[in-house]
Amino acid sequence: MFSDQKKYFEIGRDMEGRMRYGAWQIKEIVDLTLQPMEIKKEQFMMNFDTDVENVEIEAVLTYFVSGKKKDVVYSIKENIAFDID
Amino acid sequence: MRKIRLLILLFVGAALMWGPVSLQAMDKEANTIDELVSMFDESSCIDCHEEIHNQWSDSWHAQSVVSSLGSITSFIENGLKKEWETEVTKGQMLKCLDCHAPVINYASEKLAVEIAEMIVTAAKEKGKPAGDAAKKELAKLRVGCLSCHNLKALAVAPHWNGPREEGMIYGPHGEDAGDAHETLESIDMTRSAFCMQCHGIYTAADGETIQCNTLSGSYQNAYVAKGGSNTCQDCHMDGGHIFHGGRDLDMVKKGIGFNVQINPYKHLPGQIKDVKEPGKWVPSAVVTIFIENKAGHRIPDG
Repeated sequence: MFSDQKKYFEIGRDMEGRMRYGAWQIKEIVDLTLQPMEIKKEQFMMNFDTDVENVEIEAVLTYFVSGKKKDVVYSIKENIAFDID
Repeated sequence: MRKIRLLILLFVGAALMWGPVSLQAMDKEANTIDELVSMFDESSCIDCHEEIHNQWSDSWHAQSVVSSLGSITSFIENGLKKEWETEVTKGQMLKCLDCHAPVINYASEKLAVEIAEMIVTAAKEKGKPAGDAAKKELAKLRVGCLSCHNLKALAVAPHWNGPREEGMIYGPHGEDAGDAHETLESIDMTRSAFCMQCHGIYTAADGETIQCNTLSGSYQNAYVAKGGSNTCQDCHMDGGHIFHGGRDLDMVKKGIGFNVQINPYKHLPGQIKDVKEPGKWVPSAVVTIFIENKAGHRIPDG
């Protein structure tokens, strides 16, 4: 019905500005991570169809420790009901 | 500084007499992994430090080479051979192994190159006899007791600290260990700068930078710059020598706050496309999420 996501990561770049993964290749980064001692606010606006009376909204925070392994750090669900006119 | 130097003068004789046999002969170079490991024999540490040993055994430090076989192989095969078109030498391998297995500094040129070949074999022949045999040998190389408590103990400020003593065990408190070994206090080991020797951008002897991770840059430039004063050890040694980090879910949870606020509302009729009845109020919601980075560095990293 609705899905959106926000990713936080860093992009390693070589001296020609190309995205790289090799530790020997990376000389600079573009920092798209969560910064320490900061609170990041993300807002998602979602519209449903006019006949939707109940929805379950789930917000999930997933941490990828590598490309092969991920952990769900937090998952919060809430059911909301709409009073259809 | 002065205290350390004085203690060195007082204890150097005793260290040569009582220190681990292995540490008395670090001038020579090892030609086999077993020889290298025996030069830095840590097998007796467990006798008095069993709990710490058990913690360390479960840490990534205990598998610092075998857990990184793919990355190091990529450095050798793609970095050295293809991109740089250069030979695999001890000097090149130190760009990985000075941190992943600091004892490599005492390997002969021949052994260092053999270790590089074994790493490639272990990665490429994974699950096959040759690969498994290579991995078993490489598992002897790791960030062990002496990696931190001797080899890297003073390396943050080598000139300020003076020379590292062979046979000496450096610790954060310099507690008396009786006849087991001589001990000197290394305040460096309590500081973030100590961890940053490896957990940051590594600058090799030839000036090449190796960026396995950038934790130290973020710690210094973002966390400390904003007034943060906790050290790496304050958080990552909370569980002792297991050094919990990003692979431990509880540790990740400690580092990230997650506050979700869900606000349902009905959107103005006629403004949302593709609904069944455009003239009706549209069920909607705004989800606001506050994510707090409570760690001393950027997330994710490492």
